[in-house]
Amino acid sequence: MWRWRRFWLRLDRFLRPGRAERELAREVEAHLSLIEEDFRRRGLPADEARAAARRAFGGVEQAKECQRDERSFVWLEALRQDVRHAARSLARSPGFALVVVLTLALGIGADTAIFSVVNAVLLRPLPYADADRLVRLVEQVPGSETRDGQPQRRVVFTGADLDALQDSRTLSQTAGYGLSVLIMRAPDEAVRFMAAAVSPAVFGTLGVRPLAGRLFEPQDGAPGADQVVVIGYDLWQAHFGGDPRVIGQPVSLQPLLGASRPNQAYTIVGVMPPAFHFPDGRTRAWIPSRFGAAQRAFAIARLAKGASIDAAEAEAGSILSRARGRDPQKSDAAPPVRVTLVRLQDDLVAPVRPALIVLAVAAACVLLIACANVASLLLARTAGRQREIAVRLALGAGRGRVIRHLLAESVMLSLAGGLAGTVLAIGGVELLRTLAAALSRIDLGGGVSLPRLDEVGVDGAALLFAVATSIVAGLLVGVGSALRASRPARMNALRESRAATGPGLLRVRPRGARGSLVAAQIVLATTLLVDAGLLVHSFVALAAVDLGYDPSNVLTFQVATPGDLYPDARVQAFAERLVARLRGIPGVAAAGFARQLPLVQLVDSLPLRTAPAAPAAPSASPPDIRLVSRDYLKTMGVRVIDGRGFGDGDGPGRPRVLLVNETLAHRDFAGEEPVGQSVYLGSDAEPWQIAGIVDDVREFGLDRPPEPQIFIDFRQASALGLPPFPLGPYFVVRTSGHPATLVADVRRLVRDLDAQARALNVAPMDRIVAATIARPHMYAVLVAIFAAVAVTLAAIGIFALLAYAVAQRTREIGIRLALGARRGRVVALVLSQSLIMTAIGVGAGLAAATVGARSLASLLYGLTPLDPATYFLAAVLFAVVAAVASWVPARRAAKIDPVVALRCE
Amino acid sequence: MALLQGTLDLIVLRALTAMGPQHAYGLAARLEQVADQPFTLNQGTLYPALVRLEQKGWIKGTWRTTESHREAKYYAISRAGERALGRETERWRRLVGLIDKLLPRES
Repeated sequence: MWRWRRFWLRLDRFLRPGRAERELAREVEAHLSLIEEDFRRRGLPADEARAAARRAFGGVEQAKECQRDERSFVWLEALRQDVRHAARSLARSPGFALVVVLTLALGIGADTAIFSVVNAVLLRPLPYADADRLVRLVEQVPGSETRDGQPQRRVVFTGADLDALQDSRTLSQTAGYGLSVLIMRAPDEAVRFMAAAVSPAVFGTLGVRPLAGRLFEPQDGAPGADQVVVIGYDLWQAHFGGDPRVIGQPVSLQPLLGASRPNQAYTIVGVMPPAFHFPDGRTRAWIPSRFGAAQRAFAIARLAKGASIDAAEAEAGSILSRARGRDPQKSDAAPPVRVTLVRLQDDLVAPVRPALIVLAVAAACVLLIACANVASLLLARTAGRQREIAVRLALGAGRGRVIRHLLAESVMLSLAGGLAGTVLAIGGVELLRTLAAALSRIDLGGGVSLPRLDEVGVDGAALLFAVATSIVAGLLVGVGSALRASRPARMNALRESRAATGPGLLRVRPRGARGSLVAAQIVLATTLLVDAGLLVHSFVALAAVDLGYDPSNVLTFQVATPGDLYPDARVQAFAERLVARLRGIPGVAAAGFARQLPLVQLVDSLPLRTAPAAPAAPSASPPDIRLVSRDYLKTMGVRVIDGRGFGDGDGPGRPRVLLVNETLAHRDFAGEEPVGQSVYLGSDAEPWQIAGIVDDVREFGLDRPPEPQIFIDFRQASALGLPPFPLGPYFVVRTSGHPATLVADVRRLVRDLDAQARALNVAPMDRIVAATIARPHMYAVLVAIFAAVAVTLAAIGIFALLAYAVAQRTREIGIRLALGARRGRVVALVLSQSLIMTAIGVGAGLAAATVGARSLASLLYGLTPLDPATYFLAAVLFAVVAAVASWVPARRAAKIDPVVALRCE
Repeated sequence: MALLQGTLDLIVLRALTAMGPQHAYGLAARLEQVADQPFTLNQGTLYPALVRLEQKGWIKGTWRTTESHREAKYYAISRAGERALGRETERWRRLVGLIDKLLPRES
């Protein structure tokens, strides 16, 4: 009890010392008067009584000092003094303080920004109850190895599998889910968004609650039950105005993917909170689904209390083996099923984890460089203050007190740096948001560029991190100079005259400590420069890949018709009419449509045969079939290499023609002339004639080599039996100006043509291309920024060290010049210092990079982590920067006037 | 004679119980008076003990006037102080007893 009371009172006296101090003075004064009165009563004269009273009392100031120590916290009082003193001493050199604060701000800012990302994405548990026990099921398929020798992973399970897993004792709950796209039809608009078809149990497995309404119940999704939907917060806000009365409202939903249902009438039963993003941040609504025995779904589960992952994997494996063994279709020799359970969080962040770790290491390097820089500056500063420190030591300040005072200075500087750094970090996180906010559409495949992006921000944890980092950095940068400056041997500084403590000719010390700090900076900066070089080089290589078409000035879009229920023929007729109208817009050079665009994840292939009965070569993969309109290839700018493209002469009833790409021509017709040959596709018995060869198009991603491909005109495609528009037609329009100017015209045209139709997914083709390389772009930009900061700091370090050395050696250089040294020699003298240091640093940096860059391997396209050109360029670039940084001090040395230099002593 | 560390608090508490409220000078005079051998106490050394005891809530200081119409801060022992004195006295006795047993007796 009294301990707390005393603690608070002491803290209070520390914060508000005024009243206690006045009270103490009054009490001591009263005390002295009482003693004095006593002495007078005993007969002493007034003045002697006063003196005797002071003797009896003892040292007044000592007594007060002891009382102050007792009533407050000694160490806090000392800290207050240190801080006050440090602030005064820094205020006397604002330039120095500013440089140090800015340097540390860059380092701490970079670290804080990356910490807020790493914390939000990798470290913080997912926002589900007991999220650590949530796992995703992955099956290892034996006997089928991927190219890199890993067993194939299968992430989908059948409804029968899911049912069987309900018996597991180690998995308390199992639920399936699939991705879907819904078209919501409101009176005046149609909206298309991503949704998930989920087992009713999915919300219970995740352990989440709705913001309003209810979640699914076991009977939801059963055949004949009312169709219900749970909507996400974003959809609720954007299209229902956040109105709580939305619960129970009917809504018309048409799934675009998955089984189409005749009945589009759904009832909204619940709204999810804003932080709920399952399976990823793009999902806007959830509909219940009973996965049929053969229907496939992704599977998540919750580990039962006390169950280990190993036990659960083993049990799930044996349950599935048994369940599938019962299947009469399968032979009894089926190998046992092997299941791996992946923590849901690991699964979600797996694609970005290696890159985030690289970024965290890069940010740590920037901070270390900033610290080394500041430590070096502080060494120079305390060296200049040797006399002041010696005086304080001589006057009785303990070594500990001097060290504490110097550390208070460096910690104050780094806290100011941390404050400025936090502002930088907020800007940095904004930049990251911009870089990561790429087009994210389900038809383009891939995930979002950065999972959990909405959770990233400079929050309380990040602020705490910034403060902790600042304090640690402040101690780190200050401790060297503080220990050095307070060494008792330094007392000699007092004995020497001011002139002699200057740069005596024989006492110029090799720049030991500061030199190694700068060399360390060069090593780190070079390593970062190599990393950035590799990532930028890789990104440039990726962006420069010949796409096989020209994505600039092409506007792409899709059309939602009420439709998606219209028969295919009607959709095709609509598309033809729309394209004809589009061509009429001024500024439109060409227009067409296709079954899918490049980079859209929709693939169908048919085996190709050269004779009606000949079997296809077993090893050759069947070519990818693309259905396009007459002008699609022309609009996209795909070059015809040989033969001809589609023209007006092609059509129903005319000879059937197709185009092949160069890869197919090379693979299947090596040494022959493909144009004019007849080929057979799939089970179609009628021949097709190859009319032309077109350039290879990167259809599946910039980093994927082109695959054999066939283009067929829609007008002749009906015999193939492929559904022509599984995702709806994709339109392309080539414009003479910027494609964005056309958006309004396109929307109007679509509505004019069919009052029910709406344009959607409107995007310039180059944005779609950019979206697929948004991640490597983000990594390259961020690491390049870090490297630029690192190199700049290292250059400042070199410059400061040399400038200081030249200033210190002014007299020596003056004497050399007076004795006849040529100015060239002086320049060489200074440059040689930096040259040796830079050479060693860059050499060590390149060596370190060969080790460090290995972690980049998975992020690189088209080059190895040991790419010699990048290493060479990094070394040259750094050498140039170092030369520039050294040149100014060297020039200054050469311009020293010997007369002035010698006279100023 | 120097005071054993930590004993000053006990002495002050005891003195206040025996004499009632006292100012710092009164306490100092009392200590000099009760000492067997005259020991000179720097009266200022009382101040840390007084502020410590007051912050613990064991004594309470109030400004009053002395008989000679001078102002002085009088300290009085509180309830908590009395309880603490009991505890501390007990502890002190145990300690003395222990040390007494450990030290060789002059015989």
